Amino acid sequence: MSSAFCPVKRERLLRMAENIIETNGLTRNYGDICALKPLDLQIPEGEWLSVMGHSGSGKSTLMNLVGGLDRPSAGSLQVGGKDLLALNEDGLARFRREFVGIIFQQHHLVPYLTAVENVMMAQYFHSVPDEAEARHALERVGLGHRLKNRPGELSGGEQQRVCIARAIINSPKLLLGDEPTGNLDHKSTVMVMELLKELRAEERFTVVMVTHNQEVAGWGDRTIYLDDGVLVREERMR
Amino acid sequence: MHRRRWLIHVVLRALSHRKGRTVLLLAVLAMASSLATALGIVSYSMEKRVAEEVRKYGANLIIVPDSARLDVGSGGLNFGVISEPTYLQQRQVEDALAKSALKAERSFHLRGALHHKDADIMVEGVNFSDVRRLFPWWQLTGNWPTAGEVVVGKDLADRLKLKAGDIMECAGKAQTMRLRISGIVSSGGEEDGLLFLALSDLQRALGLEGQLSLIRLMVTAGGETLKKSAASLQMLLPTAKVNEVRQTARTSEGLLAKVKLLMLMVTAVVLISAGSSVAGTMSTTVLERSKEIGLMKAIGGTRWEVMLIFCGEAAMLGVLGGVAGYLFGSVIAQFITRTVFAASAEFVPWFLFVSLGISLFLALLGSLGPMVSVFKLDPVRSLRGE
Amino acid sequence: MAIVYKMIPHILASFGIALVMFRGFSGRRSVVALTSIAGFVAGAAGAVVLFRVYRGTIPFGVIKTALGSGFLILWGVAVGVMYRSTGRGTAFIGGERFVDSSYYAGICTVISSMVAGAICMSRLPVADSSVLKVAVFVFGGGVLACGVVFAAKILEKRLPAAVTVTQSGMLAAVMAFLLMSSSSTLRLDLFSPLSMKVMKGIHDFVHQFMESILIPDHLFVQPVVWKYIGYLFGKGVGFWGGMIIWFTPVLLIVLANQLERLPSVAHVRQGAQRRKLIFAAIEARRFRLVIPMFSVIVFAAAAYQSSFPSVEYWDPKPVPVTANQAGEIFIPKQGEINLEDGKLHKFLFKQGGREAKFFVLMTPAGKLTVVLDACAICKPDGYGQAEGSVICYYCITLIPLETVGKPGGCNPVPISFTEKADGVIIDGMTLVNTWGATVQSTARVKEGGK
Repeated sequence: MSSAFCPVKRERLLRMAENIIETNGLTRNYGDICALKPLDLQIPEGEWLSVMGHSGSGKSTLMNLVGGLDRPSAGSLQVGGKDLLALNEDGLARFRREFVGIIFQQHHLVPYLTAVENVMMAQYFHSVPDEAEARHALERVGLGHRLKNRPGELSGGEQQRVCIARAIINSPKLLLGDEPTGNLDHKSTVMVMELLKELRAEERFTVVMVTHNQEVAGWGDRTIYLDDGVLVREERMR
Repeated sequence: MHRRRWLIHVVLRALSHRKGRTVLLLAVLAMASSLATALGIVSYSMEKRVAEEVRKYGANLIIVPDSARLDVGSGGLNFGVISEPTYLQQRQVEDALAKSALKAERSFHLRGALHHKDADIMVEGVNFSDVRRLFPWWQLTGNWPTAGEVVVGKDLADRLKLKAGDIMECAGKAQTMRLRISGIVSSGGEEDGLLFLALSDLQRALGLEGQLSLIRLMVTAGGETLKKSAASLQMLLPTAKVNEVRQTARTSEGLLAKVKLLMLMVTAVVLISAGSSVAGTMSTTVLERSKEIGLMKAIGGTRWEVMLIFCGEAAMLGVLGGVAGYLFGSVIAQFITRTVFAASAEFVPWFLFVSLGISLFLALLGSLGPMVSVFKLDPVRSLRGE
Repeated sequence: MAIVYKMIPHILASFGIALVMFRGFSGRRSVVALTSIAGFVAGAAGAVVLFRVYRGTIPFGVIKTALGSGFLILWGVAVGVMYRSTGRGTAFIGGERFVDSSYYAGICTVISSMVAGAICMSRLPVADSSVLKVAVFVFGGGVLACGVVFAAKILEKRLPAAVTVTQSGMLAAVMAFLLMSSSSTLRLDLFSPLSMKVMKGIHDFVHQFMESILIPDHLFVQPVVWKYIGYLFGKGVGFWGGMIIWFTPVLLIVLANQLERLPSVAHVRQGAQRRKLIFAAIEARRFRLVIPMFSVIVFAAAAYQSSFPSVEYWDPKPVPVTANQAGEIFIPKQGEINLEDGKLHKFLFKQGGREAKFFVLMTPAGKLTVVLDACAICKPDGYGQAEGSVICYYCITLIPLETVGKPGGCNPVPISFTEKADGVIIDGMTLVNTWGATVQSTARVKEGGK
């Protein structure tokens, strides 16, 4: 059937071009527990969205679903024009390496690899490792002097910057942050957020950041509040 | 950087990060594969040696007169004292051999005693050309004899203080001979106590023209064929007894079989325990590293790609363990052959592949279970630390 | 049933050729399908005509020449591809356009399937059967070709799209399949004659070299050196030399594929994009390797089949003969054994514990020959007779029936004899002595003086 006879579908196609993420009745159950109640959410391309809520409010679940780490129990989920429900596990992995960069609260760096090698690991899964490019990425996040250090020899802020370098190395369209500043002091937090803002200006990726810190949420364009898996409030910054 | 080189780099980094565990696994793998290698090398080189020994002993069939008793001692063939000397007719034997169409090298022997300086000495009449061909391990100082000459066994020469060039006078039943010694022979066997002279000379001296006491045959066949040859010869020679000679090799073979059995059991036990210890160590490793695995999956590694990294670690361990096992196993094999068989083991390069194969097999088999859990691991849950 | 069994390697080869052709000319599947079938039938029909007009070796020679030139072309292409992979471009005027045309696809397919069809027919008794039976063979071949081509087309569609094949890889695969197909019949086999040629070439070279430059027992030539020179006369030389010539072209193609430069990505600004392009190029290169690597295996299968042919030989049990008072052996031409039926007849002569095996054979030229069942080179494993030739069991060399009775090389050692109207007369003593001399010398060489 051609799209001319199906105006609804056509409209959705048009909307998709501007929205990088589109969910429709997105639900995630863990057994009997409903972590995310049916959620309709649109995130336009280039937006910085902060997701706030208490622990267990479903914000991490939302982030995992959007990043292709987890599968929804019901509803539809389109990211960058891809229907994530149609992808199998390896397909999701391929989607993640090309489309998504993730910054973790606990950094999750490989302990036996140096900073540069940790960045190269992401390159390896994406395509081929390229040391010069990885070094350049670390220089961009201000770690040009700590290239050959293992994660154990780096401070929390430095580790988080390695994590950022790793997240942006494959030029993702979507950057996910799971409480990226949760373990950092105020000074490091500001530094990391400044860095993210700078990088976003250059690379023009979309940011979805989960946090419970009001100040951190304030760096974004829009903040949504989740409570018990339900979107309770939405706030536009500017 | 090349993907493959990167993989190897990461694998080496991971292995050197957990030195203790790596060394432990390497030791286990090396031990298992070294034992298997040692077993292989010992049985390979000793079997070869036994086969060589069988060939070296020349005769694999002997024909003796029916009433003669065949006594076999260790290390050589000793013929018990023949109470009532009986003999084989040379012509009859030759006919039988021709009729049987057996492809065999032959050597005729006549054993008897000659009187020399108030004492009897054991003498054997042989065709020296046959002897030279069939018993190449005889070590001769001096020359092979020409007509009227003899060679003396080393022990006998020592006892009688004889040396090459001496003339000795021997008396037989029929005639007395003056014999010149052309050389001293030593074989490490009973030959050392005998005097050897030309068959026809001895036959004449003892008055036993055309008579033989022993025929050694070297049939170029083994196993069943040899048995068949023996049986067919026996049919043609009713007055004689045709025996297979395997006794010389049998002692070594028996010992070899026992050592092999022992090593086989030890190796089996070690292989099983090595396999389970690899499995145990690998699964703890994978458990400990579940966050790392989750991370790799989260940043875009497919299940197969992540598994490849961990399989790479197992394979690397397997290769290193196999090489170490080969070197160590060669040393063990050398030790065993030296202490047990008083011989040196051969250097067998292709056993490297056997050792590598065993070690790789163990390493990969042991990590089969852990690999499945790597494959199945859910990135979200493992990153959350569940 | 026997015929079906015989045809299996040829069906497999045709299937493989069609498969590779479909993938190689993926834009022109219908052309390939059509020309495959047409070429097969044409080749089969042509072979039938050849076999019926010229009896004997000529048709085999024609097919062998086609195979040989194909192999030479493969060599040429392999060297060319290797040269190109070093970065030096070779451009033919209009060549690229021709290669892209459907004419090229058609011509390639027609030629290769014609050879395949001709090989198939050479396995069938087309020369002696009735016209009707031959027509059935050709028709059946055509039907079979249709089936094989369509099966290949179906399988090709299911192969992963990433597996691509270059022109050189396609040629390598086609030649591999054709040679595998031909190696299952002794008269079309190329590998054994190749290794024989290499062995002979090296022998001749060493002889020339030794006789003109090095005198035996020369002052500077140590016995050790002679030992090494001795290796040049071993059976291994021909085999390994043949192996090198056999596998080099396809291995060159594999190597050239690996040496192929990756695309230049300097103009791409984004690092991730750049890496992606390089990765895609590496992946594509790796998939292009599939067909050449597979060809290596098929080449190996062909060499194996040629070294251990599964042909049944005519090899009668030696008949014991005896000499008369004058020491002469008389073998009647007619009687229990018909000496003039063109088959070899083996005899065993024993005298005083010594023996000699020999055989009598009527060559296609109509001349009776008496030769030992042993040659001057090999261990006396004896000979068997296969279509148009006798084969030395030890070195698997084919000796055309025409040259049996001539001395030298691996030919059976000829024995002088007198031909009478009713039989042949051989001197027993000469026979036994020649046997002894031959066998003793070869046994010593082969067993390394043990």
